[in-house]
Amino acid sequence: MRVERKKRQVLNKNSHSEANSPQSAYDAKLLFPALFLVGIGIVMVYSASSALALKKLGTDYFFLKRQAFFSVLGIVLLVICRYFPYKLFQSLAYLFLIIAFFLLITIQVSGLGYRVGGAARWLRFGNFSFQPSEFTRLALIIYLAYSMSKKQDKLEDFYIGFLPHVLVLGIFAILILIQPDFGSVVILGSVTWIMMFVGGVSIKHLLVSLFVSLPVCYLFLISAEYRMQRLISFWDPWQYAADGGYQIIHSLMAFGTGGVWGAGIGNGYQKLFYLPEPHTDFIFSVIGEELGLLGVLIILGLYALILWRGIKIAMDAKDTFGTLLATGLTTAMGFQICINMGVALALLPTKGLTLPFLSYGGTSLLLNMASIGILMNINSVNNNSLN
Amino acid sequence: MKPSQKKYINLRVAVVGIIFIIFFSIIGSRAIYLQVFCYSDLCQKATNEYIKVVTTRGKRGTIYDRNGGELAVSIDVRSVAAYPPHIKDTPTVVKTLARELNIGEGSLRQKLESRRSFVWVKRQVPPRETEAVRKFGFNGIDFIPEHQRFYTNRMLASQVIGFTGIDGRGLEGIEFYYNRYLQGKAGKSAVLKDALGRIFDKSGGRAEANEICPKKELNENLSLAQIRDAKNYSGNNLILTIDRTIQFIAESALTEAVTRFSAKSGMAVVMVPKTGAVLALAHVPLFNPNSFASFDREVWRNKAITDPFEPGSTMKIFSASAAMEYGGCKPDTIFFCENGAYKVGGDIIHDTHPYGWLSLEKIIKHSSNIGFVKVSETIGSESLYKTLRDFGFGEKTGIDCPGETAGSLSHYKRWSEIDAGAIAFGQGISASAIQLVTAASAIANDGVLMKPYIVQAITDQTGVPIKTFGPQKVRRVISAKTANTVKKMMKSVVKTGGTGVNAAMKGYCVCGKTGTAQKVHGKGKYTKGKYIASFIGFVPAEKPEIAILVVVDEPQKDHYGGTVAAPVFRKIAHKTLNHMNVPPRNKTDKLTARGQGPGARGQRFEDL
Repeated sequence: MRVERKKRQVLNKNSHSEANSPQSAYDAKLLFPALFLVGIGIVMVYSASSALALKKLGTDYFFLKRQAFFSVLGIVLLVICRYFPYKLFQSLAYLFLIIAFFLLITIQVSGLGYRVGGAARWLRFGNFSFQPSEFTRLALIIYLAYSMSKKQDKLEDFYIGFLPHVLVLGIFAILILIQPDFGSVVILGSVTWIMMFVGGVSIKHLLVSLFVSLPVCYLFLISAEYRMQRLISFWDPWQYAADGGYQIIHSLMAFGTGGVWGAGIGNGYQKLFYLPEPHTDFIFSVIGEELGLLGVLIILGLYALILWRGIKIAMDAKDTFGTLLATGLTTAMGFQICINMGVALALLPTKGLTLPFLSYGGTSLLLNMASIGILMNINSVNNNSLN
Repeated sequence: MKPSQKKYINLRVAVVGIIFIIFFSIIGSRAIYLQVFCYSDLCQKATNEYIKVVTTRGKRGTIYDRNGGELAVSIDVRSVAAYPPHIKDTPTVVKTLARELNIGEGSLRQKLESRRSFVWVKRQVPPRETEAVRKFGFNGIDFIPEHQRFYTNRMLASQVIGFTGIDGRGLEGIEFYYNRYLQGKAGKSAVLKDALGRIFDKSGGRAEANEICPKKELNENLSLAQIRDAKNYSGNNLILTIDRTIQFIAESALTEAVTRFSAKSGMAVVMVPKTGAVLALAHVPLFNPNSFASFDREVWRNKAITDPFEPGSTMKIFSASAAMEYGGCKPDTIFFCENGAYKVGGDIIHDTHPYGWLSLEKIIKHSSNIGFVKVSETIGSESLYKTLRDFGFGEKTGIDCPGETAGSLSHYKRWSEIDAGAIAFGQGISASAIQLVTAASAIANDGVLMKPYIVQAITDQTGVPIKTFGPQKVRRVISAKTANTVKKMMKSVVKTGGTGVNAAMKGYCVCGKTGTAQKVHGKGKYTKGKYIASFIGFVPAEKPEIAILVVVDEPQKDHYGGTVAAPVFRKIAHKTLNHMNVPPRNKTDKLTARGQGPGARGQRFEDL
């Protein structure tokens, strides 16, 4: 009975994949939205950063050139990951964790650490800088997927399913918090929690952890003056228009002036030093102003397509590692999208998080492209195993 | 993996998917809410922030002399300003600016370290310096176009023209009096600025403020269109009655005399008796209005208009007019001059040289004070007072210069015994130089007093007159017959034996009168050794073209009007008549016809 159903499933799948056979090497529903977003990203990074670059660096093409370079590099990485059997990541899980750990330590102890606005989040190599917290995210996802798929039957046990994973998260969270980069920690924590939920860790443990972590988050929030300021001004940004609410109200103004149709690419005003970080944290606001509601909804649709494909691939994965890996990668991307957009739309307090594929930033772009490649590889294994 | 397990995992993955569907729905709704429903409100808020209302003042009008020569012009310059919050490396910027602009480091540092959003670094900087600073490309340093007033002839007519402050407002002289006309109009315009306060250009031209919010009214009725054509905002030009050449002649002659006699100061006024137009108004010492601040404020004053002084003997021509008009005197009416000393009330009046019996003509020729006391007795206080009032003493002439004095002429009912006599020879009365020359012009103009004026036309930026000023008759003071008789007597002053022989000229018949007044110190006491030497006259006697007053204050080596001021009169008159192409009586001396040469252009404005 069970076998028969499986066969039918196989037949259905087969006919489905045959219809898509010409592009079966690359999942078009995943590839095109990603490439499209990267393309929009290059244009918008240039539009958002040209005035800034001209003033600070004397050339308006500075950020455009770099973003274009990393886009090409990202595509190469995507192709590599597409053909790199994802199961091999299992054996690399601990190695990646160790690499991530040392990179994070290096920032703190050596002269390689590169500070921007009081935060040491980058490692500098010549003209380029690398953000270890982005790599940490990938390493942690691989580790969690590997660990939980291995202990699948014993995950209900607190000491096997819950504690080790939370401890590993805790070590990395502390290393990233001292940078400080609260936003990345929120992403890591959320992804870990979701992966534990999907993997099958006891719901009871998860709920307790949620209730315990909330006061911890609160204490952490009030521990730094600027975080508290951000939170207060988040509630009433117009009241604090001159200081804490400045970023929020200018982001709102950007969306407001964009209207339905937008001011047109390059015609926005908020990027002219009104909006802080227009090419990284607030690129969505620039898009809102220049491309209007139409552009915003198209971007949202493209992301939705990627997330839907990610979820679908997770569901179709033939092994738990694949499911968890796909879930982790998709969830991390999804949270990053939601938090960045939530901040830009004043739904969430200000966090220094970039928007996948669109924001300027090499490390982020490379790792998101790698994620797409890995998802494609999981997908291709799903399809191939059916034949 | 057990299928049931897989089923539960997939269920949980689906839950994650649903979470994202919810999140995306919230984000999408929020975007719709902001971009559709909050559109007008947010748009308005943003626009208010982008817009900067800029008030720019048009260029100040030019001041021309009667022949179209430029006396004061406004030139385009740039001023260096700073936005202190946007300056990054303040110490370096301070050091560089102080060096390149040659300004004090201390005060500059204070300015740039302040929390103010805008400060001036240096106003009206030469292009060489702005270019030097521009090369460094500092953030937060701006170059703002402004207009600088430039007085092309430097010292020339400085007290008459006056000057403007750094912000282009007239502070003294004509610049002050006609500021309303000269000043460029203020143009208000809305421009777009970035968050650093910099105005930005969009596609070549300035962006329209209402581009951001189409169909949305801006809170102020502003339009950008007008500002582009700055010419429309220029101030009006002035055409003076002053002739640059005559002004220069007067100033040179006066400077020479002031230097020669080590005098404190001097002034000279040249007027057209027929019209009241002032051709020259010279003061020594002069100052350079391009750097007025480095001169004593005392020299800024247009003293010929603002400062009254006791005229002394030059008054005698007006009392003589009264004597003939009301006292029944004739040039040959004789008076006994008491041999040099005459007691009136408690005072004794002296003459420089003792005289016995003298005719009125001789009394004027020799300038006898005692004679004039006697003459005043025939006129009577009331008639003398009335005549002098009619000549304009004790009231402002109404000339278009700031700060005019009315002088002082007390009412005859308050005169003491000696006053009538003293006023008749020029003591106990004070008048400004412009009052004296205007009154003398009335004699030259057959007894008709004209209102003096210094601006003959106001033109717009294209040169089209919008207002013109011509000769204005004030009143008839004396009959033409009396005027002619006084002229005849004034001729004798410059003839052999008269006090004004030094004013005599070859080829022209001069009418004149000397004045030597002791200066009054404090409360009516006369100071020994401090004199005002003056000479008033007009030429040619038959048809006076110019009336000239020369006043030299506190000459040291000599103090008589006839020796100090009369030669200055001669020099000014001679050169001016030459410049104006007035032919000498003896046609062989000078044959140039009138109406040619540099004087010809001046006629154009006389018709206005």
